[in-house]
Amino acid sequence: MSNLYIIIFLPVVAGIILFAFPEKIKLLKGIIATIISAIAFLFSIKLFSVSPQLVNLDLFSSIFTEGTLPWEILQGANKFSSFNIDNLSKFITLTICFFGLVIVIYSVAYFYKNHTLKNYFPYFLITLGLSAGAVLTDNLLFFITFWGILGFTLYKLIKGYDEESSSTAKKTLIMIGSSDGIMILGIGIIWKVYGTFTISELNIPTTYPILTIAFLSLLIGSFTKAGAFPFHTWIPDYTRHAPVPSSAFLPASLDKLLGIYFLARICAHMFILNQWLTFLLIIIGVMTLIFAVMMALIQQNYKKLLGYNAVSQVGYMVLGLGLGTPLGIAGGLFHMINHAIYKSGLFLTAGSVEKRTGKVNLDDLGGLSKAMPVTFISALICGLAMSGVPPLNAFASKWIIYQGIIDFGKEPGVANQLWIIWLGLAVIGSALTVATFIKFISGIFLGRKKDHLNKVKEVNFLMWLPGIILAIVCIGIGVLASAIVVPEFIMPLTGKFEYIGIWNPSIVFVLILASILLGILIYLIGNIKNFRTEDSFIGGEKSQEETSFPVVEFYKTIRNFRLFSFIYDMAEKKWFDIYEISKKITLYFSHWLSKAHTGILTSYVFWIFAGLIIMMIILIT
Amino acid sequence: MSWLITLFVILPMTAAFLIPVIGKLIKGFQKTITSVVFLFLTVLSLFFLFDGNTEVYSYKIGGWEPVNGVPIAIYFVIDGFTILMLSIINLIGFFSAFYAISYIRRFTAENNFYTLLCLMVGGMNGVVMTGDLFNLFVFLEIAVIASYALVAFGVEKNELEASFKYQVLGGIASLLILFGIGLIYWKTKTLNIADVSDILKYSNDRSFLLFTQIILIAGFGLKGAMIPFHAWLPDAHSSAPSPISAMLSGVLIKAIGIYCIIRLFFNMFIINHEISLVFIILGSLSMVLGVFLAVGQWDIKRLLAYHSISQMGYVIIGVGIGMMILANNGNKSVAALAITGGLFHLINHAVFKSLLFLNAGAIEYKTGTRNLKELGGLFAYMPVTYSTSLGASMAISGIPPFNGFFSKLLIILAAIKGRFYLVAFLAVVVSIITLASFMKFQKFSFFNKSSITEKPKIKEVPFPMCFSMIVLAILCLGLSLLIFPGVRETVLTPVVDILMNTTDYSSTIKDI
Repeated sequence: MSNLYIIIFLPVVAGIILFAFPEKIKLLKGIIATIISAIAFLFSIKLFSVSPQLVNLDLFSSIFTEGTLPWEILQGANKFSSFNIDNLSKFITLTICFFGLVIVIYSVAYFYKNHTLKNYFPYFLITLGLSAGAVLTDNLLFFITFWGILGFTLYKLIKGYDEESSSTAKKTLIMIGSSDGIMILGIGIIWKVYGTFTISELNIPTTYPILTIAFLSLLIGSFTKAGAFPFHTWIPDYTRHAPVPSSAFLPASLDKLLGIYFLARICAHMFILNQWLTFLLIIIGVMTLIFAVMMALIQQNYKKLLGYNAVSQVGYMVLGLGLGTPLGIAGGLFHMINHAIYKSGLFLTAGSVEKRTGKVNLDDLGGLSKAMPVTFISALICGLAMSGVPPLNAFASKWIIYQGIIDFGKEPGVANQLWIIWLGLAVIGSALTVATFIKFISGIFLGRKKDHLNKVKEVNFLMWLPGIILAIVCIGIGVLASAIVVPEFIMPLTGKFEYIGIWNPSIVFVLILASILLGILIYLIGNIKNFRTEDSFIGGEKSQEETSFPVVEFYKTIRNFRLFSFIYDMAEKKWFDIYEISKKITLYFSHWLSKAHTGILTSYVFWIFAGLIIMMIILIT
Repeated sequence: MSWLITLFVILPMTAAFLIPVIGKLIKGFQKTITSVVFLFLTVLSLFFLFDGNTEVYSYKIGGWEPVNGVPIAIYFVIDGFTILMLSIINLIGFFSAFYAISYIRRFTAENNFYTLLCLMVGGMNGVVMTGDLFNLFVFLEIAVIASYALVAFGVEKNELEASFKYQVLGGIASLLILFGIGLIYWKTKTLNIADVSDILKYSNDRSFLLFTQIILIAGFGLKGAMIPFHAWLPDAHSSAPSPISAMLSGVLIKAIGIYCIIRLFFNMFIINHEISLVFIILGSLSMVLGVFLAVGQWDIKRLLAYHSISQMGYVIIGVGIGMMILANNGNKSVAALAITGGLFHLINHAVFKSLLFLNAGAIEYKTGTRNLKELGGLFAYMPVTYSTSLGASMAISGIPPFNGFFSKLLIILAAIKGRFYLVAFLAVVVSIITLASFMKFQKFSFFNKSSITEKPKIKEVPFPMCFSMIVLAILCLGLSLLIFPGVRETVLTPVVDILMNTTDYSSTIKDI
């Protein structure tokens, strides 16, 4: 399977070699990275046509002579290097390589003449290769190693330049690293009970408490990576402070893909869930959905807003996968792909805006639609997709999830009885997403243009191209959803399923297209250009040049609503942040313990003899 | 061949006596001779490590042959465990000495420094090689007394206070150890470890043995800084000059604490359930309390020193779990895994902790402060220090692909497999808090806002310091390879075999 070598090891090795190049030839490094990503993408397409199989890779031991030390080492490693090419893993690999390629093109332009982040491209390539490796591997030890290194590269793709951003970098690695540690516990339990690390051999019932613990610890790993409540808190901070290509690459696309991939793996393949775990997953899904979007509503920083949105959309995926039915899993995975597409598209447009204006707050922006038309259009399409407007892609996936919930309600079970609540909350979440989208679009692109933005121009070709590609993909997947995408790509992952509701996006798309054409036609034929203009009536006040009514202001009323404002206050004081809570507890213990260390010699001597005597008493008597 | 092993003691001791004499006459003699001696011994020990045979070498001092099968000479023994320890001691010793070439210039008495360093290394080499209990005590005292002096080397208020506490508590430890050795001598009428082991096999005086063992645990535990015997460590390790801190934390507590415990309790005493329980409890306590104490520190070296306590906890736990499984006649492969994990972590800790102390020294060398609150923004000015310390921090926090991840992985897996769920859970929690405290170290020293006013003056440290740090950082990555069966079998498996087959030690030695 030479495909696997190229997809996994070529980017990693190339990344390691690129470290040796000096930072001055950043452009060359970027181009090399682009070429490598393109090669990996081509081979991932090739891999996609390979039939499902288990492969034992020889990790380069053949290049050393037999019996030498490197040969022995690699022979030892070979025992673990089994890879599983099944429908799920090869599909995710394909998407990972696709995003890698799109984002690296953007990064070349973004980082050109911009010395903010050292060694971006090496770490980028290593991340790409290892993500594919983590998805494809069939061995839990290989998996946790790859997964762990990804946390480290994530940390290296954000730069600590001031106090806040370095706190964010710290928080990110601590949360990701902790989840890795907890996953080791789960892996250890699986190994203890089943005596194997091979993922494809496992089919674990969650009937015993210890196996449930194993499931939960693996679940924490996947939740932290994907960013589900309550382990999501690193994502908004990360997106706020990291350079935009990093955010688009990791929290928006790759980490979601990996986290949800692993969630699907553990829910659908490795474990058989009992009904309480299903209930837990659904609850977490819904909570993630609602809480994160509520937080997104009040953000002023658009990168952070997108970060909270990225968390909220994870709720849909967790909800879908939590249902456990083929329809639900299909919806969850489909939404994961769609989300990665439109969210990285949105991050890239946000990056273009930031690059041109240097502003990160919605208050400072507005009216850029004319200055940056291509960016505006791609942001609009991606944003509409995020809000689930038909016939774009996320509508199709949300539609499948809704149907999955209704379908789920027909079965007996605790969670099944409450299906109407889940459905209602999912729809509310979607509505709130529209609200955040309007805030984002109108805050940046619509409204009155601020004076200091007059010189803003469109970004260059390489920077708007990825955004528009992603927007077109949004439309493409949406239109072809029921005709090609779902039967060809999604169904192999879950097995066949039937829709309950009817949805034919192709026809709808044709109708919408027809109506747009008709509109243009009327506009051209009819003499509509001669319309009457009138000043807007604003309570009898004279409209003045400098008056503006930004949409952003409207959202402050939500913030100030009495019940919500209390919760928001709590949230802003980080009462819901699991990281801050653990930090407080740890530092409390630390403070308490260090008080005992007074520096007085006699008390130290006393401890020694106390320890000695206690041991004596316990053991000898 | 076997005469070569005496060089491990002879060369450092000779260097220690030559430095004050010749060092006054020839400029630069002390630096050169120390580095050369340590480098030679490193090469020699690595040669023994990788020569491919697991033969046990021994040297009888004075050439006294055994009488009626009873050994009467003092033995120097080199088996897999000893050679592993010798490699660590001399390797870290070499890098510290090389680092010190630049670092120690600002102190006046360079000759004394190198003399004491050579004495300390010679003492540690002796401790791990000797096959005789009283000889062990003598070498231990040589190493420890040299370290008392080195801790006080700065002769400021803090250093002197730390050294004083260290001496008093270390004195208690030595007393306890001597008392324990005396008890054994009284019971068995011999001091040769192999011989003692033979006699203890037939002894059934359970409470006497337990009493002796507890005395020795307290004594060596004090040297190895297990909680509650740890109180001297944070002061002593943070007050010493940085290369010495690297030696103390990276090597000394292992050679005279952990090594002695493992050697005596596996190969001399009969392993039993109670003692292994004591190890697991003390290990867990050290691991948990040590890390909680560390995370709140603002002095870099104090933070690192508390982490030494915590990381030694991992080693003790790994070995303790293996011991308990062996004592209960459990699954041998799990016991082997646990012991492998413990020893692997011991090697790893030696490398990354000494590197971290060297990093702390580099920061202090250039900025003049160890207080994290006063530091910041150094990553742009000290790239080597930054990248090496990042590697070491990731290694100690157990982030792959650095070595600490793999040893912790082995320990946690073995703990779960051996049904020590609570221990495994604590090990994970401690690992998380370790990560948190090293992220704090990284953030406040290299990023954050810079509050150092004369910032442009800060440059990277001189070559000898950089060299030591870079090589150690490469080792942090390279030692990960020990996880793979191919290398593990050469380096770790012989040691594990020695500890697993507890009685083989005495029979092998008596056969020679």
